[in-house]
Amino acid sequence: MEKLVIAGSGPAGLTAAIYSARANLSPLIFEGPGPGGQLTVSHEVENYPGLEQPISGMELMDRFRKQAERFGARFDSGVVENVSKGNDILKVQAGYKIVETRALIIATGAEARRLPIPSEKKFYGKGVSGCATCDGFFFKDKKVAVVGGGNTAVQDAVFLTRFASKVTVVHRREYLRADPVEVQKAKMNSKIEWMIPWVVEEILGKDRVTGAKLKNPESGEMFQLECDGIFVAIGHEPKTEVFKDVVETDEKGFIIVQFGGTRTSTDGVFACGNCCDQEYKQAVVAAGQGCMAAMEVERYLGIKE
Amino acid sequence: MSKVVEITDQNFEEEVLKSELPTEVDFWAPWCGPCMMVSPIYDTLAEEYENFKFCKINVDENPETATKYQIMSIPMQMFFADGEKVDELLGAVPEQMIRSKVQEIMQRFPTDEKGRLKSILSSWIEHNKQDGEKLSKWMQKAQEIKNDSIYNSLLKTTSEMEKINERLSQLLGEL
Repeated sequence: MEKLVIAGSGPAGLTAAIYSARANLSPLIFEGPGPGGQLTVSHEVENYPGLEQPISGMELMDRFRKQAERFGARFDSGVVENVSKGNDILKVQAGYKIVETRALIIATGAEARRLPIPSEKKFYGKGVSGCATCDGFFFKDKKVAVVGGGNTAVQDAVFLTRFASKVTVVHRREYLRADPVEVQKAKMNSKIEWMIPWVVEEILGKDRVTGAKLKNPESGEMFQLECDGIFVAIGHEPKTEVFKDVVETDEKGFIIVQFGGTRTSTDGVFACGNCCDQEYKQAVVAAGQGCMAAMEVERYLGIKE
Repeated sequence: MSKVVEITDQNFEEEVLKSELPTEVDFWAPWCGPCMMVSPIYDTLAEEYENFKFCKINVDENPETATKYQIMSIPMQMFFADGEKVDELLGAVPEQMIRSKVQEIMQRFPTDEKGRLKSILSSWIEHNKQDGEKLSKWMQKAQEIKNDSIYNSLLKTTSEMEKINERLSQLLGEL
């Protein structure tokens, strides 16, 4: 029987691992489909406290993990697929493994939202990408589009100018959600063009992307944009599908936690990070919540014993 | 017990296309976070599976192969057997998914002699069946235009092929 299982290995899950391992709970972490979480696709993290110089998200998460390992956290590459509860025991299933545990921390985070058009799926990996850091390299001297208006989209646009000859930001609203400092950086970049407010109606091409059909939602006007790559950065949705039978979620799928804490609607189950945070979505916030979850688990198990 | 083989543009043909074993190639780059996160999975699998070869190729240093296979997104895993690309997995996918893909390919492309013979025979039978369907369509056409000589020769070919397929299926059953 485990004392604590943690689902997810981003900043929230790994901070929970560091704190609970240091408290001798010997947590078992199911890393999930993307070990290290969403931050691993950031090429530079500048705002995480304690980093005098920016480092890659991948390196930062590697440090988190090593720190947790140092205190005895155990890692499994499995993906949690089912959770059930009986009395005080939770059964967590990941692949062919079924683990019994006293407490569970859900830190599965969120995943990139995809464009709701069929042609996006068809061209995924053939010009459509969700990761500018991974795939920008393949678009040297080519034209690309970035869809979205948040921080990721604007940062991606700037990053992609390292490779592409032209980057067009396509955003459905007049106003950009991204931080003003990021927008300013992008506005100063002469390789970036703006298609605002336009939406992607269809992605065009035969075997690979050659363009996109855009529509102006205000005037109804259509425009055909020529491009070889389309980077989608239109926000994230929580990865909470498998937990919906065990804990309460809101209409968008975010896990509902007690105000100012990490307790969910079910005893022994705690949640932290982007699977329950729709407001801040920052690594440092997720880490902070991970710490809270670990401390609340400690208290919960202490009372039970 | 084996390790993931680091390959290059220069030895891709030798290591992958001429490989005796079904082979997985991980297209990766050091600046790709998800690539770094999945690569340990391949290290584990390489140690586990003896009759499967695991390779990785750095797309930054080996642009030729990446261009040849039209890589536009990484991590990309391509699977090769008998000198051809036979399947692919895009993105950082869970270990379980990679495992089942490896097993599926091992079944499709067995490495022992009996297994290979079986797979050759069954693909032969499959091909014949497809040709048989084409032939019957032509027979219909010949009937419509009332061309007896073509119809008869098609009929003869079809019945010969059916006999061959019977014999092949029998052989397959005996194996």
